[in-house]
Amino acid sequence: MTAAAPSDLTLPMLRCASCGYLDTPSHAVCRACLSTNLQPVEVPAIGRIVSFTTIRRAPSRFRDQAPYHVAVVDLDAGPRVTGRLAAGPPALALGARVCALSAEPTDLLFTIRDNS
Amino acid sequence: MRDVCIVGIGSTPFGRHAGTPIEQLAVRAAAEALRDSGVDRGRIGALYLGNFISGPLNGKEILAGIVGDQLGLPNIPCTKVEGACASGGIAFRHAWMAIASGQCDAAVAVGAETMTHAAGAQVTAALNCAMDNEDDAPSGLTFPGLFGLAWRIHAQRYGTTRAQVSAVVRKNKAYGLRNPLAQMGADLTDADIAASAAICDPLQLFDCCPTSDGAAAVVLAARPLPSDLQSVPVDILASVQTRGAARIAGHPDLCSFDATVSAAQRAYAMAGIAPTDVDVVELHDCFSIAEVIDSEDLGLVPRGQGGAWALEGRTAVDGQVAINPSGGLLAKGHPVGATGVGQIYEIVRQLRGTHANQVRGAKIGMTHNLGGTGVACTVSLLRRAA
Ligand SMILES: [Zn+2]
Repeated sequence: MTAAAPSDLTLPMLRCASCGYLDTPSHAVCRACLSTNLQPVEVPAIGRIVSFTTIRRAPSRFRDQAPYHVAVVDLDAGPRVTGRLAAGPPALALGARVCALSAEPTDLLFTIRDNS
Repeated sequence: MRDVCIVGIGSTPFGRHAGTPIEQLAVRAAAEALRDSGVDRGRIGALYLGNFISGPLNGKEILAGIVGDQLGLPNIPCTKVEGACASGGIAFRHAWMAIASGQCDAAVAVGAETMTHAAGAQVTAALNCAMDNEDDAPSGLTFPGLFGLAWRIHAQRYGTTRAQVSAVVRKNKAYGLRNPLAQMGADLTDADIAASAAICDPLQLFDCCPTSDGAAAVVLAARPLPSDLQSVPVDILASVQTRGAARIAGHPDLCSFDATVSAAQRAYAMAGIAPTDVDVVELHDCFSIAEVIDSEDLGLVPRGQGGAWALEGRTAVDGQVAINPSGGLLAKGHPVGATGVGQIYEIVRQLRGTHANQVRGAKIGMTHNLGGTGVACTVSLLRRAA
């Protein structure tokens, strides 16, 4: 874990070398042009909340963590990702600015930015 | 393409069938459909079976062949199809295609699932096989969670209220009380719904369909129909299958399903009818808010008005368009692979005029079956034969 400020964290993505399309790393071909020439890139882990929910009945492998908050976030860089939200935001309006506290592929955790 | 009719229907009750193997439920439903039709077994040219999770929960595959064998069908193709919660609708569409294309003159579509024997966590894990396990599942998202995400957007964008969504639950649970095949009918108040266990915000327990066992089957035949028919035939005007996003990030709008919108549009065009021609609908209300969204995606209700229409009674049996008079998945139950065929069963009963919650004068009915995160969808349009 680095000592970087949360907003400095980046997320790994794949950028198509043929057409420039940016997508998550779980792809073997570019969905825009079917090229297999995909280059690893890092994008800022900042964006806006599309929606969120609080999971109170969790699948067995996450049971000990419930309740927890799941958010869908549109990154400023383009891709839409699904991750966790650190604090319970019951009164939060959708569209709030978030940045990542952790950007590991298996531990993507966002928090609301104080000043948007 | 040849004209195809539904000539026989059968179904087990949806609910708990502890100790009954899945293939026996399927065979019971299919035998009832064959008897209902009067069609001789020797004329059946294909069988399609919809099932989702018999592998992980029962350790049983090749279900289509097992069912064909136990039914004593001829040496015909028996094929299992899978599209998560849309598996049954896909089986029906394939049986229709086999006949419409001239491959055979009669076919059986059956859907089956058993779930209640398994532990809750095991069922959740099996159902999550239909989620994107690379990008979405690591967050701990669940299927109720997906609809929690959708609900929040619907509420913010259109002002949809808890009371409106509760109206969907109360309607479907009340219809379930009168449907002899339904698992969980109930006479509920808004307070009962609000007091039920919190599953994932804003969904409470009564917003979620139960875990169910069950099977349903239909027999289809080409026109001109065999002379030995015993039941009133129902015409298949259209049956459409579409693909939608296989992961959350693929949905441009989280409170609408592309697969439903495009399937409905193609089905209306194929049938040559408009949404206002539809009298009765069985749609995929796996969660209460899903009925709101589906009714809009199918073009039955103006965008954003699904909740208001439910609260105003416009989707009741005596309303503008009757939605889920079976009780829907919420009350009838959701034995996943059986649901799509069970919807066809319910609509055929409506068009025969023999439903427990009969829509008066129903002439045109619709089914809508949606799988996974909206990755697979079928929409069918049926009409009472003149
Ligand atoms: Zn490309």
